[in-house]
Amino acid sequence: MEEERSPRPLRGLYDRVNISVGTLNIVIIVLVAALLVCFAYGIAHRGYTITFDSLGGTAVESRKQMYGELLEEPEAPVREGYVFDGWYRDQNTAYPWNQEEDVITESMTLYAGWKEL
Amino acid sequence: MAEKKIGAKAQSFTGLSTQDKLKKVGDLLLNNAMYIIIILAVIYISIKVPAFLGLPSIVNVISLTAAKLPIALGIGGCIVLTGTDISAGRVVGLTACISASLLTTTFKVFPDMTSAPPIFVVLLLVLGTGAVVGLVNGFSVAKFKLHPFIVTLSTQLIVYGIILMYLKNGTNNGQTLSGLSDGYRALVTGTLFKIGNVAVPRYVLYAIILTVVMWIVWNKTTFGKNMFAVGSNEEAANVSGVNVSRTIILVFVLAGVMYAITGFLDSARIASANAATGFNYECDAIAACVIGGVSFVGGIGRISGIVVGVLLLQIIFAGLNFLSVDANMLYIIKGLIILIACAIDMRKYLVRK
Repeated sequence: MEEERSPRPLRGLYDRVNISVGTLNIVIIVLVAALLVCFAYGIAHRGYTITFDSLGGTAVESRKQMYGELLEEPEAPVREGYVFDGWYRDQNTAYPWNQEEDVITESMTLYAGWKEL
Repeated sequence: MAEKKIGAKAQSFTGLSTQDKLKKVGDLLLNNAMYIIIILAVIYISIKVPAFLGLPSIVNVISLTAAKLPIALGIGGCIVLTGTDISAGRVVGLTACISASLLTTTFKVFPDMTSAPPIFVVLLLVLGTGAVVGLVNGFSVAKFKLHPFIVTLSTQLIVYGIILMYLKNGTNNGQTLSGLSDGYRALVTGTLFKIGNVAVPRYVLYAIILTVVMWIVWNKTTFGKNMFAVGSNEEAANVSGVNVSRTIILVFVLAGVMYAITGFLDSARIASANAATGFNYECDAIAACVIGGVSFVGGIGRISGIVVGVLLLQIIFAGLNFLSVDANMLYIIKGLIILIACAIDMRKYLVRK
């Protein structure tokens, strides 16, 4: 009785798997190749894009930088009636980017801080 | 024909024909493809960016592993039951937001509060929240016999809605919660000990404790044995007197508690919490479990495997981060890793059939 109830080797989510080992081998090889291509593409295009939103000021071009680098500060944007007071991590300009200490760890957008003249 | 798996492997290997040898080597390469890729990637990255093998980087990988371990330990149980849990990330988010809103100095969500409640009380509250979501998941899976994908998809959406509404409370208006209390941050991110001048945070210790506790639960308790019995054959478990429903519910509740712990640690670790906290954490956790040999076939998995899985994933992602590979590409890589890990896992059982 118990013997008959012994579980099949494929059960659970693999209950309905319908593929031969040979085909699965090819699938694995193709997927691994795809993964390696992704690695290669990612490494070839390495660098994090830093986008600058000047929030009404003159446009600032985005740039690519590597992990762990300090921000290469671009030329400050200009806006009529305001004076530029540095880059911020958030749109509400609550968290300033610390030019001396903060290093780049991801792609991000920095927002311009403006003070009224 | 080539199924001479018993006895001294090396001896039987030399006795094989060239074709069988090739087959064995092929099997070995395919079954371990994921580990081979990761080892090669680590070698490449450490040549390209030697700082990757530096002490700060290693401590960073260990800390990240510790941070992602509790959620993976929780999801592991659901996978042993041939299920999964895609609500995990959002539960982490909700519990992180609750912790951050109460253990703070600004009280934006509850403007009437003046002082933070004791950390212990908040921890219990958060664990309770996780357990309730787990209970809903577990009850629906056990009693409605719905597939966990469907059940946890719905709780994922419900929990996300709750997070968004919770963050609208008081004067917060959906903003990121920050300004956490010093006691809370110190409890989680305080220095455990220092290697050289690199500090190892306290949550590494908590992750180790949780791993030990989960190892005991999985291997030394009746509940753990029942979990594996239900996972490998529900009907057989039922016949031999296991309370299947209760086991399933308990597994999901335990998982919910683990997500809550992840959320509690995560908000202090990141020093803030918002609606995006915990997003997609379940993907990493599921990938880690499958890489670590917790199989979707059910009833198979080990705690040590989960630890290795989480560690390997963190190593590869920390490495890609060092190489400045864009986050968008990381999503594709993560997806492929899950698919490959599942295909390899499937292959192991197909070959055995």
